[in-house]
Amino acid sequence: MFRTPLVIATALAVAFGLGILSSIYALRATVGFGAIALGPWTAFPAAQTVGADPYAKAHRARDGRLLLGGAEGLTFTAATDSENRTLMENCRYEIKGITPPARLWTLHAADRDGNPLEGARAGLPTGLNSWSALRSADSNFSIRIASSAMPGNWLAVPDGRAPFLLVMTLLDTPTAGSSGVIDLAMPGIARLGCADA
Amino acid sequence: MRSFLYAIAVGLVGAALLHIVIILSLPSFTGRDAYTRVQAFGETNRFFPLAGEPGATLAPINDDPALKTAVCAFSLENGPIRLSAEGNVPFWSLAIYDSASNEVFSMNDRTSVSGALDTLVATPIQLIGIRKAVPPELEQSILVEMRGDEGYAVLRTFVPSQSRLEAAVGFLADASCEPFTADQ
Repeated sequence: MFRTPLVIATALAVAFGLGILSSIYALRATVGFGAIALGPWTAFPAAQTVGADPYAKAHRARDGRLLLGGAEGLTFTAATDSENRTLMENCRYEIKGITPPARLWTLHAADRDGNPLEGARAGLPTGLNSWSALRSADSNFSIRIASSAMPGNWLAVPDGRAPFLLVMTLLDTPTAGSSGVIDLAMPGIARLGCADA
Repeated sequence: MRSFLYAIAVGLVGAALLHIVIILSLPSFTGRDAYTRVQAFGETNRFFPLAGEPGATLAPINDDPALKTAVCAFSLENGPIRLSAEGNVPFWSLAIYDSASNEVFSMNDRTSVSGALDTLVATPIQLIGIRKAVPPELEQSILVEMRGDEGYAVLRTFVPSQSRLEAAVGFLADASCEPFTADQ
């Protein structure tokens, strides 16, 4: 006699449970379609436009960030190193190479929600940019990311064990409108070693 | 048993429908989209520099240490809005968004007329009136056609080092976002 209500309850539970969980999962997993992926770096050049897909629109409405316009620049985010291992605060990394054509670039570390990270103490270099980074003679740069001081270009991350993101913003770049004709390359992220890993 | 399999199949169809409904309707009721957060400053037609740390309000924060940002929520109901800023900064960029946070227009200092920001945002109807007889003070301005009446402007400037911070803060503090009225 409870069979019919039970069948209806099953259908409703499956519908609401899966419907809500799949939506949350989809919004957490990605910013939307139309990503440019260059090694570990991904960017979403159309996420702020009116033509963005529904997932991108839902994601940006939930996130509430001020996105960069097409003529302003393009933000690349990396959650893993070049060998697809999650970036961790207790490891040391090296970013080596050259950026796609851009007038300026900036680099900083962020937590998994995208908020910028502070160094272990105030006054440590938590951001680097194209004016402050030292380059080698062939204009490549090498940036070391670690919680303790490193020689050369050093980007400080907090002293902890949490995963983090690297955010590189290219300002005034033709990359966003690139149709794949120019061969774009972002610098690689190599893991140098981990403390008590 | 069969009726349970049937129930699960119906449930899956329902889940797919619900997924689509949630994704499509989410932008209109999250309550923390970029436009709502920009409005948290309370006042319209004024550029507010963003703080570096999240405060008690929903207001957006400055999320790149090498960029300083100011935002201005505006309404075109009472006439066009003129955005202007001038200063000795190595880079600035402007993006104008509508109330659904879609990009309407963006530019940077290289695409401006003289290196200074001078942009007029107006609805298509207001623009027709302005283009008929361009006031002399708008001859050098970039005219932007806005979708809808409301939106916000985001002005960013590049701060490569601490020594440039003062100029960047001054640039954003002097930026204006005011209703435009032609001098008669």
